[in-house]
Amino acid sequence: MSEGMVISEERTTVENVVCKTGIDELDVQLEGGIPVGNTVLMVGSSGSGKTTLCMQFLANGAKQGERGVFFTITEPLFKLTKNMQGFDFYDKKLIESGMINLIDLRIISERLGLDAEKYTVEDASALLEVLKDIADELNVKRLVIDSITALCCRLQTKEMIRDFIFKLGSSLAAMNCTTFLTSEVPPNEVKYSQYDIEEFIADGIILLGDVDRSGDLIRTLQLIKMRGTAHSRIKSAMSISSKNGIELTPLLKSRA
Amino acid sequence: MINDEFVSTGIDKLDRLLEGGILQGFTTLIFGSPGSSIEILSKQLSSTGSVLYFTTEETKDEVIKTMSRFGWNPENIDFVDIASKYSQTILNREKKRVSIYEQRSKLKIKELIELGSSGMAPSVRGEEDFLAILSNKMRLSSFEKTIINSLDFFLSRYSQEEVLRTLHAAKISNIEKKGVLFIIMTRGIHGDIFERRMEGIADCILELEVIQKGSTFERFLAVKKMRNYAKKIGIARYVIDSDGFVLEMIERIM
Amino acid sequence: MTNTLIDGLKERVSNAITINQSVGVILPGNNYSDLIQALFEHIYSRPEDVWVYVTITRPYESIVKQFGDMSSRGNIKFIDCISRAAGLSKIDPNCIFIESPAHLEKIIMEILNIFRNIGDNVQRYLIIDSLSSLLIYNDAQLVTEFFTHLTNRTRLSDIHSVSIAIEEEMDDNINKIIYLRSDKIIKLRESFI
Repeated sequence: MSEGMVISEERTTVENVVCKTGIDELDVQLEGGIPVGNTVLMVGSSGSGKTTLCMQFLANGAKQGERGVFFTITEPLFKLTKNMQGFDFYDKKLIESGMINLIDLRIISERLGLDAEKYTVEDASALLEVLKDIADELNVKRLVIDSITALCCRLQTKEMIRDFIFKLGSSLAAMNCTTFLTSEVPPNEVKYSQYDIEEFIADGIILLGDVDRSGDLIRTLQLIKMRGTAHSRIKSAMSISSKNGIELTPLLKSRA
Repeated sequence: MINDEFVSTGIDKLDRLLEGGILQGFTTLIFGSPGSSIEILSKQLSSTGSVLYFTTEETKDEVIKTMSRFGWNPENIDFVDIASKYSQTILNREKKRVSIYEQRSKLKIKELIELGSSGMAPSVRGEEDFLAILSNKMRLSSFEKTIINSLDFFLSRYSQEEVLRTLHAAKISNIEKKGVLFIIMTRGIHGDIFERRMEGIADCILELEVIQKGSTFERFLAVKKMRNYAKKIGIARYVIDSDGFVLEMIERIM
Repeated sequence: MTNTLIDGLKERVSNAITINQSVGVILPGNNYSDLIQALFEHIYSRPEDVWVYVTITRPYESIVKQFGDMSSRGNIKFIDCISRAAGLSKIDPNCIFIESPAHLEKIIMEILNIFRNIGDNVQRYLIIDSLSSLLIYNDAQLVTEFFTHLTNRTRLSDIHSVSIAIEEEMDDNINKIIYLRSDKIIKLRESFI
C-alpha cells in the first residue's frame, strides 16, 4: 500500500511514541499526537461531537495500519454506522477488513448473562475482563468506550463506580493501546466527568463544548491535560463537516 | 341471615360480628402483625365464593396445601402466583450470575466479538411489572372476592404513590363488579402517613392484634371501620383451631 | 455608468492584485456594484487563476443571477456566509454555505480547505466581500482578529487577497486593520468616478 509507505517514512522519528489522531490541528496542539498507551477522557454534552471525534480517531488509525475497536453501550451498531456513512473519513472497508471493530457491549453483557440495567461489582469486572480479552484478541492499538457514563450508570453506588473506574484504569494501562473514553456531562457545566473520578484515571482530557457568539453556538475543543506532552491549552473552534470530519482552528476571542 | 348485598367472609362468627358479612363493592384493609396468623385468615376468607387470590409470599401450592389441611376447598380460587413468578426471576438472575464465569470460559472470545459486532442489542427486559399484573387481572376478571396477600410485597418493589394509584383503580373496578376486595398488609412498617392513606381508601378496616398477657398471648380481631355501618365496629378475641379462626367474646364498641 | 469607468476600475484592480499580495479596497456604497462588475470581468479574463469568493454582502444566488453560473469555469468557488442564516440556502456544489456570518472560524477553515485542495502551482486569489459587512454580525474586535488571522494564513500560503470595505459600514478599527494588513490600498472616491 503506497499510503502506508508514505506514513511510515513520516513516522520514523516518532515511531511508537505518539499516536496521531489524524486530525491535523489537534496533532499539532499535541506536539505530534497522543503518547501511546494514554487514556483520554473525551468530555462533552450530548451532540458535542464526541462519537464523531472518536470514530475519526479510529478511522485515521486504521488507515495507518493500526487496528481499533469501538465499544458502544448507548447507540446500536446500525445507528453508528449510519451516522458515520455521511463522513468522508469513514470507509465501509475499514469495518469489513476488521481494521475497525464496532462492538455493542450490551450484546456482550447479555451474552454473559448480565442484567441489562444493573451491574454488580462482579458483573462489571467480568465485563472488563471480556473487554480486555477482546482488545488482546484483536490486537488493537486504538480503543474507544462510548460512553463511560452509560457504563457507570449501571452501577448502583458511588463506591461501586469508583471501584469500577479504578479497575478500568488499571486494565487499560495494561493494554498498551491508546484509549478514548467518552464522558457525558450536562451542557455548560464546568465539570469533566459525571462521577468526578473518571478524570483521575485519565492521562488526558479533551473538553468539547460550545461558546455563544451573538446567539450562535460555536463548537469548541480544548485540551485540558495530556500527560507526556507540552500541549497547547488554547480553546479551538471546531467544525464538523461530512467532507473533513472534525477540523479545528483557533477560537477568536470576543471581548464582549 | 345473609343478605343478597352482603358477601360472606367465610368465617361464621366474623360474619356475625359484621352482621351479615361485607357489603358488595367494599374494599377491606386487613392489618396484621407478626404472630397474628393473618396468612390463615386470608386463606379462610378464600374458602367460600369465587375468589381471585394474589399470593406474593407463598406459592399457589403452599396455599393449597395449607387450605386442605383445614379442609377448605381451593377449587374456586383463581390464583395469581406472584411468589412463584418472583422467585423464578430471582432464581434466574442468580443462576445467570453464577454462570457468568462459567459462560466466560465456555464462550470463545472470537465468537463473542462476532456476536458483539453484529446484530442488535437486546431490548431491556426488566422484571415483570407485578403492579400491572394486579391491575390488569382486577380489571379483566370478575370474582366475588379478591384477596391481595400481601401489599407488603408491592410496597417493597414500587413507590407508595404507584401502589396507591393502582389500588385506587382496583377499588373502582371492585365497585363496578360488585365484588369484595381484601387487601392485607403489615402494620407499622410502611409509615404512618401511608397507613392513614390506606385507611382512607378502605371502606372497612380489620386489624389482627397480638397482646401479651402474662406468659400467654391473646389475639384480637378488631373491626375498626365500616363505612356507613357504625354499629358494626367491634372487637373479638380469637384462637385458631383445626377449623381455622374461632371468634369468641365479641364486644361491640358502639 | 459607462464602460470606461468599469474598464478603468478593472485596470486599477487587476494591476494592484497581480503585483501586491494583499489589496484593500475602500469605497463608498454607491460604487460597490461597479467594483464588483470590474472584479468579475477581471476574474473572467483570467481563467488560469483560481479564486475563492467570500460573500457577506449578497447571497450567492443573486451573484449567479447577475454574473451567471460560474461552476463550469471551475476556477472560482464561493463561500456564502449569509444565505443560511437568512434561511435561503440551497445546496450548490460550487458554493459552501456557512451557517452564520458570526462563525468566523468556520469561514477561515473553509477558505483554507479550498485552497489546500488546489495546490500551489497556480496563482490563488481570495476575495472578501466585504470585511465591513462582517461588522453587522460581529463586534469590531473580533473582525479585526479574524482578518489578522486570515491574512497571516494567506500570506503563508502565498494566496493573494482582495478585501473590500464599504465606507458607510466601516469603523475605525476596520479602517486601521485594513491599512495595516494590506500591501496596497485602493481608495475609490465618487469624485474620481
